[in-house]
This record gives sequence, C-alpha cells and structure tokens, in this order.
Amino acid sequence: MILETGRVVSTETVADLGTVLVVSSPGIATRAHAGQFVHVRPGDRFDPLLRRPYSFNGIDRKRGEIELIVKPLGEGGEWIAERRGGDPLDLLGPLGTSFVVHRATTHLLLVAGGTGIAPMKVLAEQAAAAGRNVTLIMGGRSIHHLWPAHRLPPAVEYVTTTEDGSFGIRGRVTDAMPEYLSWADQLCACGPWPMLAAVGRMRDEAARSTSVIAGRDVLLDAQIAVEQHMGCAMGVCRACVIVTAHGNARVCREGPVLSLGDVRFEGGEPATVGVIT
Amino acid sequence: MPWRRPRKHVERARDVDRSVEEMLQQKAEHAEEDEAVDLAALDGASVVEAAMGEPDQPQPPSELATKLGEAVAGVDLESEAAGPAGARGARSLGRGSSRPVPADAGTFGQAHSSTPSSRASLLAPSPAASQDEASDPLEVVVSLPEAGIDLQVEAARGLWLKNPVMTASGTFGQGTEYAELIDVSRLGAIVNKGTTVHARPGNPQYRIAETPSGILNSIGLENPGAEAVAKRYGRAWAELGVPVIVNVAGYSVEDYVTVVREMEGTPGVVAYELNVSCPNVKGGMLFGMDPGLAAEVTRAVKAETGKPVIVKLTPNAPDVVAVARACEEAGADALTSINTVLGMRIDTKKRRPVLGTGSGGLSGPAIRPIAVHITYQVAQAVSIPIIGAGGITNAADALEFLMAGASAVQVGTATFADPLAPIKVVEGLAAYVRENGLSSIRDIIGAAQAKRDSAGTEYAQ
Repeated sequence: MILETGRVVSTETVADLGTVLVVSSPGIATRAHAGQFVHVRPGDRFDPLLRRPYSFNGIDRKRGEIELIVKPLGEGGEWIAERRGGDPLDLLGPLGTSFVVHRATTHLLLVAGGTGIAPMKVLAEQAAAAGRNVTLIMGGRSIHHLWPAHRLPPAVEYVTTTEDGSFGIRGRVTDAMPEYLSWADQLCACGPWPMLAAVGRMRDEAARSTSVIAGRDVLLDAQIAVEQHMGCAMGVCRACVIVTAHGNARVCREGPVLSLGDVRFEGGEPATVGVIT
Repeated sequence: MPWRRPRKHVERARDVDRSVEEMLQQKAEHAEEDEAVDLAALDGASVVEAAMGEPDQPQPPSELATKLGEAVAGVDLESEAAGPAGARGARSLGRGSSRPVPADAGTFGQAHSSTPSSRASLLAPSPAASQDEASDPLEVVVSLPEAGIDLQVEAARGLWLKNPVMTASGTFGQGTEYAELIDVSRLGAIVNKGTTVHARPGNPQYRIAETPSGILNSIGLENPGAEAVAKRYGRAWAELGVPVIVNVAGYSVEDYVTVVREMEGTPGVVAYELNVSCPNVKGGMLFGMDPGLAAEVTRAVKAETGKPVIVKLTPNAPDVVAVARACEEAGADALTSINTVLGMRIDTKKRRPVLGTGSGGLSGPAIRPIAVHITYQVAQAVSIPIIGAGGITNAADALEFLMAGASAVQVGTATFADPLAPIKVVEGLAAYVRENGLSSIRDIIGAAQAKRDSAGTEYAQ
C-alpha cells in the first residue's frame, strides 16, 4: 500500500447511486485487486478529519486509473464527490483483502446490493476477460440505484432486482439467488449488512440441511466484502472491528473480504463486539 | 470441484493482532496449499493471498520519498525492482536513492549528555548501510531535513530522545503497521496501544464518530494482553530503530504492576506510560481523577521497574494540576498532557448516541487549546518533563506545546488523516531551529511561560 496524490480524470453522477470518479493513480492501480479499497482524504486540512474508504469500482492497470463510486454522505463524502477533472486527490491504498476466484471456477455468481456493486463490477470485468461465465445479480431500491447494465462487459449476464419493482424482479437480490446457486461453482457478494446477513442465513440453512441442496457448496464457500465505520484503515485504531468465528477482525486489514462462514451476524447487523465492562 | 479453504489457513484469523512479519511467514508456509488464484494475475499482476491473508506485500516507500521532496529515505532498490510498479521504480532510481542510516539504537533509553557529540553515532555508517553499495551514508543523513539539527530532548527523567516527536497511544498500533508507510526510525519514540494484563475484546460498535476538527472514539482498550504483546512484538520493536514506550492500562494497582512486570525485558522498550485516564472503560479513568490514587499507582509501578514512568493525565479530572503534583511526588518521571476529553454525539435519526458506549474520548485539533492550557498550567506546577499531546497536526502546533512548557510531544489523531504528520513535525521543528538560529530545540521549551516561579521550572531554560 502506498500514499499517492491521484488526479481526477473525470466525474459523473450515476443516477442515485452516487458520483463516479475516475482517478489517475498509477501506483495504486498497479497494486489494486477487486475487493480492496482506497482511503481518500477529504481535503488537505483536518476538518473533516477522517479519510473515507471506497472500494474499487474499476481498476485499469494499463491506463493507471481507478474508479470509485462516491456517495455524497457527510461533509467528507460531499467534498470528495464534488471533485472535478484535474483536481488532486490524496489516496492511501490499496488496502485490505481481495476476492479470490478459484482456479477451478468456471461459473462465477456475483451478488451486489446498492454501492456493493463496486467490487462485483471489477470481478465481473476481470472474470469475463479471463473467459469465465459470470452472472451478476444486482439490486437496489429502484432503477435509479442500479449500475447501468450497458456498462458491464457484454459477456456478463445480469439479473436486476429493485425493491419498488421499477426494474427487473421486484424484491431483493436474495430472492433471485436460489435459481442461480445450482448453476454457479463460486459465489461472491457485496452489499449492505442486512443483505449480507440474508445471504448468511441462506448459508446457515444449507449448512444445517442433511438433504442434498443445490448450491450448498457454493454457499458454504462464499466470500463477502463488508463495511464498517473506519478510522485509520491501517489496522491500528481498531474502530472497524467486527466479530468472526476466529475472534475480532479488523475490516481494514483482515477484511473487507472475508469468508461468509466466518462472519457473525445478529439480525441484519454485524454481531456485537465485546462487552461493556 | 469446489475449492476448500484449508483449515489451517482459516486459523490465521484467530489472533486479534499479529506482526506483519509473522503473517508473511505464515503466508509463505501456506502458499503451496492455496490453489486459489486472483484473476488479476491473468493480466500480469502478482497473485494475491486468499481472503483472510495479508493483502499486499509491504510496499517500499519510494512514493513517500517523492512526497517528502528531496529527502530520500528508505527506498529499497531490490524490492522496488521486483515489485509490480516498474515504471515508478524507474523514477525512484533516478533520485540517487539509498537506504537511510538507522539511528544508533544503542543510545536509546540511556541518560546521556545532550552535547552535539552524541549525534556522532548517527553519522556513523551502520552495518545495513555499508552493505548497500549504492549508498553514501553521509550524503543520505545530510539530506534528511533534521540532520545536523539538535532536536534532542529529555522526554522523561533519564530518557533522552533524538527528537521530541512521539506517536500517541492508540493511534500507532504497535509501530509495525505504519512502518509499512513511513520511516518510523526518524521519530523520537513511539507509544504502543494501551496494554492490559489480559486480552480485551473492546467495546461494541460504533467505536468512532467524526466531530468538528476531531473524532470521538470508544475502542475500549482492545488488545491481546501484555504477555502476547511482549511475545509478538518484542522482536519487531528491537528492529524498528525507534524506542518504544509501553502504554499500560488497568483496573487496579496490581493490574498496572503486572503489565509492567510482563513487559520488563522486552526488546525496544525504554519506558512506561500509565494510562490512568482512559474514558472508555469502566474504572479506567478512576486513577487519573484522584490525586491520591494516581500517586498510589505511580508509586507501585516505580517500585516495579527502573525504567522511566510517565503518567498520562486526563483533562476530565476535577483538578488536573493536583493530580500532576501528586504523581511528581510519587516519583513519576514525566507527565503526558493530555488524554482525550469526554464527549458525545447523538444520531438524530435513531435518537440515540452514535457511539456504542454512549460517550467517548474526543481527540484531534478540536481539543488543542484545552491541551495547551493544561500543559501550561501543569508546567508551572511540576519540574519533571511534560509530554504535550492533543490535536497536534504540524510543527506549529507542536511548538505551542513546547513553548507552553512541554519537553516533547505526541502526534495522534492527525496520523489517521495524514500518515506523514509525525515525520512532518520532526522536519518542521528542525526547520524552526535552523531558521531561528537556535542552538537546540530545547531553547524554546517553556518560552511562553509568563512567569517562572520558584516552584521549579529549571528544566525549561
């Protein structure tokens, strides 16, 4: 991971999904992998103070460019979303773990909720380029919260779900998943905690079941990318800690990509860390 | 055939914390078992680790050196050439880069004369440097902005540091994390994450919230426990090239003594900082609130170790100056001024506090005036060195604390926004000494004190 001053190449608002920033950042683009993130400093002062983590929505090693989806949330997010072509951007990355597609995988199922599309899009692009069969299930509140399908590689099959039924299947990504589980031999997912928890419940059911269930192995082996309020992103502050089967894990270091089976949920949220003593 | 993650592989996530070195070693051990391949490898990048592994090899700080202007520090030619960033590596090569000369670890932690002669050791080629054929050690040292400037300070009685800049506990982990990004050997000292007798899981989420020019945190002293810290980081600390101060936390006098006993003899450790002021655990702030209790814990730890003992003051005490005086009388060798200020944020949508514990500790530039004021007051009351902390982001901020009477400073929260902040403070202080024609940084300690009463500020000449 490195510190690099990137330069904004272009910005574009994609409906209600957020602002898509293309940033020239050769050092980070060369090192980045799908699922990893970059910690962006909102300005050069200390107010707002904290950097913001964004998963790569695109990694172009040849051009030395990365792509980020920035939701204008809070003062820092707004500042970053307001950048324009030519503006410098203080970047720290790539950080965290990345998705790993197995050598044997020929049918890759990707599930994305909301801005969780970012690492799924990178995986889709890379896997399609490598000649694998890719199906991407992407969901959002409405059609305005989806990544434009025409901007996915032609080889990627996609399924869309919207909660208001404005595009594709009315419902959530997990409603569309069962059909594809038997098709796939690997599953990767990214999205808000309630979505990941729902995928986790599917996994739990599959794990408990004694009968033969289609896609059982795929669920058991699934990888997910999670998010948590983050401080340093260097592993020192322990703000972004979540509970896993193996103890506390820092989302910025041991994550954001984790084995679904390792992550502990409570309802639709990450399990409560520690105890108040 | 579905790929199964080898059991042992998953086990690696069990530890709440491990040194980078340890992880890399384990990574190498499991490399052959791991059939997984990163797709990125197909377009020429290197294969990365499976999900639970360390994501990236520690990167050579070549880009960092570029950011630091002419100061080329720590460019590792070998790993740069072998790394994926060939093009950038080529750029680095053109800068006459070479290894920095690590400061002589032998001078750390010993009371020695502050005459310029003690800096001679910094100029001597170290074994590491002499092995590097491309380097000219003298030239590299001179190229560091702080080279040749007397920044040495007595940060605690008997603890001379090569410069006054430390990192603050909880914002620098165990020192190994940021070592991937900056040359930590250029700092005066580092303070590790608060260490308790037993492992602690820490507090519920959320643990952090942003505030105007600051952050609120409620981490809850998550740490693997003293024994594990000593075992896991001792070797790394010995090789960091910077003195380590262990931050000690506890719930009873016995706790503090036990942690210090466990940490004694750990390589690299030069002093202890008693965290009697953590606002995020029940009872954690108790000792720092009351002069009698603060003195009791100070006395007990002093009896346990011959190393300097620093007490970290809390601004939340009813009478900080009384606590400071009591600690000095009990034998404290320095005081850190200050820990975080209690604060709270409310999520107006959810109608409840943002932090999982409700309240937390406020840090960052927002608290700097409070910290400077307390430092100023305490400096008038005690004659032991004070380490200023609270919202320092650059050399100008650090100078405020030094002029208020602090002998050293800690940079904390600023590092999250700007990992280079601690190094920039070192460089900025050196520039200040040079530009103002001072003989050393010590000349300005306490310079802003209006009166010097007879109660003893003689160290602040």
